[in-house]
Amino acid sequence: MTALTYIFVLPLLAAVALAFVPRAYSVVMRGVAVGVTFVMMLLAILVFIRFNGAEADASGFKFVTTIPGLGASSLGIVCKLGVDGINVGLVLMGAIVAFAAACCSREIRDREKEFYILLLVMTGGILGAFASLNLFFFYFLHELALVPTFLMIGVWGRGERKNYATFQITLYLSIGALVALVGLIALYLQSGAQTFDIPELTERLRENPLSAGAQRFIFPLLLFGFGILVSLWPFHTWAPMGYASAPTPAAMLHAGVLKKFGLYGLIRIALPLMPGAAQRWMPILAWLCLGNLVYCGWVAMRQKDFNWLIGYSSVAHMGFVFLGIATLTLVGVTGAVVVMVAHGFLAALTFGLSGYLYEQTGTLEMSELGGLLRKLPFIGAALVMAAFAGCGVPGFANFAGEVTVFFGAWNVFRPVTVLACWGALMIGAVYMLRAVRTMLHGELPEKWANVTDAPHLWRKAPFILLLAALMLFGCFPRLLTDKISPSAGVIVQMANPVLEGNLRAEAAPAPPKSALAQGGGEAVQ
Amino acid sequence: MKLEALPWIILFLPLAAAGIITLFTLQNRQWSARLSVGAVVTGFLLSVVFVFVAGWEPRVREVSVNWLTIGEGLRVDFGLHFDPLSLLMLLVVTGVAGVIHIYSVGYMRDDPGYSRFFASLSLFTFSMLGIVLANNFIQLFIFWELVGVSSYLLIGFWYGRTAAADAAKKAFITNRLGDFGFLLGILTVWGALGSLNFSELQEKLASDPSALGALATVAGLLVFCGAVGKSAQFPLHVWLPDAMEGPTPVSALIHAATMVAAGVYMLCRILFVLNAPALEVISYTGGFTALLAALIAIQQDDIKRILAYSTLSQLGYMVMAVGLGGPTPAMFHLTTHAFFKALLFLGAGSVIVVAHHEQDIWKMGALRTKMPVTFWTFMAGTLALAGLWPFSGFFSKDSILEQALLRHHYLLFAIGLFVAMLTVFYMFRLIFVVFFGSAKSGHAAHAHESPGVMVWPLRILAVFALVGGVIGIQGVYAMQFGGEGAGQAAGVAARLIGPWREAPGAAVCGLAAFVAGLGAAYALYAGADKDPLPEKLGAVSMAMRNRFYFDELYKVTVIRLHDGLAAVAAWIDRWIIAGLCVRGIHGTTELLGRALRLLQTGNVQTYAFLFAAGVALVLYFVLGK
Repeated sequence: MTALTYIFVLPLLAAVALAFVPRAYSVVMRGVAVGVTFVMMLLAILVFIRFNGAEADASGFKFVTTIPGLGASSLGIVCKLGVDGINVGLVLMGAIVAFAAACCSREIRDREKEFYILLLVMTGGILGAFASLNLFFFYFLHELALVPTFLMIGVWGRGERKNYATFQITLYLSIGALVALVGLIALYLQSGAQTFDIPELTERLRENPLSAGAQRFIFPLLLFGFGILVSLWPFHTWAPMGYASAPTPAAMLHAGVLKKFGLYGLIRIALPLMPGAAQRWMPILAWLCLGNLVYCGWVAMRQKDFNWLIGYSSVAHMGFVFLGIATLTLVGVTGAVVVMVAHGFLAALTFGLSGYLYEQTGTLEMSELGGLLRKLPFIGAALVMAAFAGCGVPGFANFAGEVTVFFGAWNVFRPVTVLACWGALMIGAVYMLRAVRTMLHGELPEKWANVTDAPHLWRKAPFILLLAALMLFGCFPRLLTDKISPSAGVIVQMANPVLEGNLRAEAAPAPPKSALAQGGGEAVQ
Repeated sequence: MKLEALPWIILFLPLAAAGIITLFTLQNRQWSARLSVGAVVTGFLLSVVFVFVAGWEPRVREVSVNWLTIGEGLRVDFGLHFDPLSLLMLLVVTGVAGVIHIYSVGYMRDDPGYSRFFASLSLFTFSMLGIVLANNFIQLFIFWELVGVSSYLLIGFWYGRTAAADAAKKAFITNRLGDFGFLLGILTVWGALGSLNFSELQEKLASDPSALGALATVAGLLVFCGAVGKSAQFPLHVWLPDAMEGPTPVSALIHAATMVAAGVYMLCRILFVLNAPALEVISYTGGFTALLAALIAIQQDDIKRILAYSTLSQLGYMVMAVGLGGPTPAMFHLTTHAFFKALLFLGAGSVIVVAHHEQDIWKMGALRTKMPVTFWTFMAGTLALAGLWPFSGFFSKDSILEQALLRHHYLLFAIGLFVAMLTVFYMFRLIFVVFFGSAKSGHAAHAHESPGVMVWPLRILAVFALVGGVIGIQGVYAMQFGGEGAGQAAGVAARLIGPWREAPGAAVCGLAAFVAGLGAAYALYAGADKDPLPEKLGAVSMAMRNRFYFDELYKVTVIRLHDGLAAVAAWIDRWIIAGLCVRGIHGTTELLGRALRLLQTGNVQTYAFLFAAGVALVLYFVLGK
């Protein structure tokens, strides 16, 4: 039993408990949701702080624990949790965002019982998926978190296109998850390891890599299956529409946390286990990332609704992560993980703020709004800060991640990096500042004379918390990178068969020449 | 306490002030002002102490902590670099910013956003000090961006006004365009040399000048892009005049003494990266900007815009000097310019306040007697800018002209001289119209002098505008870069006559330009009630008034192109990807479903028939072959 166990189990138990509370006690529902997520957040912070000193198991994971009774151990399905540098930041980010989302759930006025139960299931599911070291639970818990998203959009969503949005996001993401599932099953079968345990599987495949043919057909399944979940261009159209229709907490949690699952899967599973195919696909991914960064940035410039704009913006930001992953370098992958954490906070912040605005004005049509900063000094200032974080201003964690990705990518994909910089520095600034200009600056229209700012600390708390996290990791990025880079190093080393070959050559006293040549040949393939 | 702790305190004091104001004293106007002014003035005093104790070339050249390290590949420090360049700049920034902070206490006293103003001002000061003290490229870039952000907040301080909100956005995005090149430049240098630290880079390039290889010129020019944006050089000069929408102290701080000077400072800091072809481009960019801006300035009617174009023009001078291989004259002019341009802006602010925020010079007039202190200090600033001996501007401008002669760049020398004449012309046009002649509006007729908290800063700056040329500023910079003035231990008297003795050609030409400009301004504007030039020059004047149509040009080219691309992308996204592909697949599936539904007739005979047909088919495939 470690803190991780509680982070995973608490929300699920609370969800079950809420099912027995009569629906009239909506205060209890909200109280339990906020309280449980708060405890989770504290636990996650504790895990994050104690991470450095904690003892690691043989494969480098810390706080490793299994939850007895869950799963089917005879089939190798064990609920085993643990963190290394890659996911410790994600667990922290997820827990903080979950608390913020619970705080922002006040806009929900009907069927509160179901809503809070779904929220808790979603939270427990996704954090469990991040912490899971078992392939089965890794996949299953993500699905567990995904289903509530669909329900939330369908039941509590807003706008005329709500139904189509629900329909589209459900089908799209289910297909993505399904493609990834096919890939994972194939991986399990091809590995011949008869285990769902991720560290064990990794170890096994390090010794006996998959055949090139197997890699060639499994890798694209994972790349595009996970890619769809992360809105990889051109599979991104579900995202802006879905987020525009989603209730605020669902958008915060999905855009902030759930979306990172696909990226995490790529880093944790696809890269180290199928290095040969990764080498072949990464240049393609690098060019695809421009579809996110530049193309979706341009589309964002044309949006008239603020929620659509930040939806496209969050799609665009995924491009940095893809670029960082595509480099297959230590610097690039570390940067990618930093961006994942930073973007989680940022996406939650922007969707939370837009939710507040929507609650006040009933519209996010930007031409309708204007001059709101005067009436909303706190919310407006937070939105300006979010806009700056979004266009990569130093002091916010996004900058630290993005600049690291650029450094990682510069010597690998130079033309792509140039265009990515354009997307980061110019396109992002243009649409973000235009939005600030139209919504917050300028004349205040008559009809918004009685919008009110966040009245008390409780309404401000989630935004303050998210901003503080962004600025903390922005000013002191080593808090993250020192944890990430050793683990990223392991993954990068496995993903680069050339390096791997060299290492093996060094380790073995006198390798026969033919073996070396073979190793080199593999690398070239 | 170790001496090296002082610069850390100097750097972080304004940030602390900004933070405390934002978090705690937004409602308390007095404390906000006290904190903000206190932070920067303390910073100035501590800087003086530091320089006094440690000297211009301290024993410890760098202090740093690690900010980000990833494996062997990337190491970014957060550090401070002490040399004559950074220390003198530290004094200039804290000093001028301190004076402007004090002035703001008076200027902004009736504004409801008083506390917010001081918080932004402190944030800005922090960012600028970060640029000055940075010891590596990424740190420089970080503070570079923060200066952009804080200037956005200050230019858009009155965000309710359309013009101010637009100007802030324009300033930030135009700067970002330059930063795009700057970041690529940094990546290029890092990619080739594997380091970001200035001292390390300098050593590497000194031991192997060809280390940057074929990319040397490109790298230099990309880094220069950053300066083009921040120092508002052609073609990114368009943001600076619009930025005058901010409160006047902001104009004085950002657009005269600090932010726009950051570009020139950065070029001097990374001079070792720039090779000869890059310097050539830089010098002509500077010369062209100087000429272009001066021409525009002579037909502007807004008092702050005249000063803004004057700033552009003077920045052109400095950039030109850097390009001519003369960092010492460039930094010398930057320093004197900081004094007199801040003075001119604050003087203009004093005029604007009594004119009830009227900025059109043709609605002022005859303010000489009503605002004596403002007038005389403004005059001192003007004479310094115009380059009259023995005002500070004379010495710094002369050193730039001298540098052009030294390098045999006669074209740039001629441009410099012509611009000097234009400078005198437009500044005295302003003086004659605003302070002489008859009062052209009611507000001007009932004007009175500004309060002490506003005029004392003017007096202080006026003193420096007068003596700034002879107090040995050039010598300090020369300690770092060598060149003229390096060995000058001479006193004030020797410095006073220095230019006449060493390069009489440049000095005499400069004086001739002064006389010519003054004569022309007197002939045209003494006692004038309206501008006679539009009639005389016709279309040329029109073009100058409209700033040579650069804004319009960008609107129809760059902005429309980018928006056009965005529109195409949005169309594709909506109709091709979301429409044709996603909806198409869903539509096809649905169609298939509808088609298959037809088979479900509910008719047992049909099912039996289909079943039999199926069985027959299977049998055919299994057995028949």
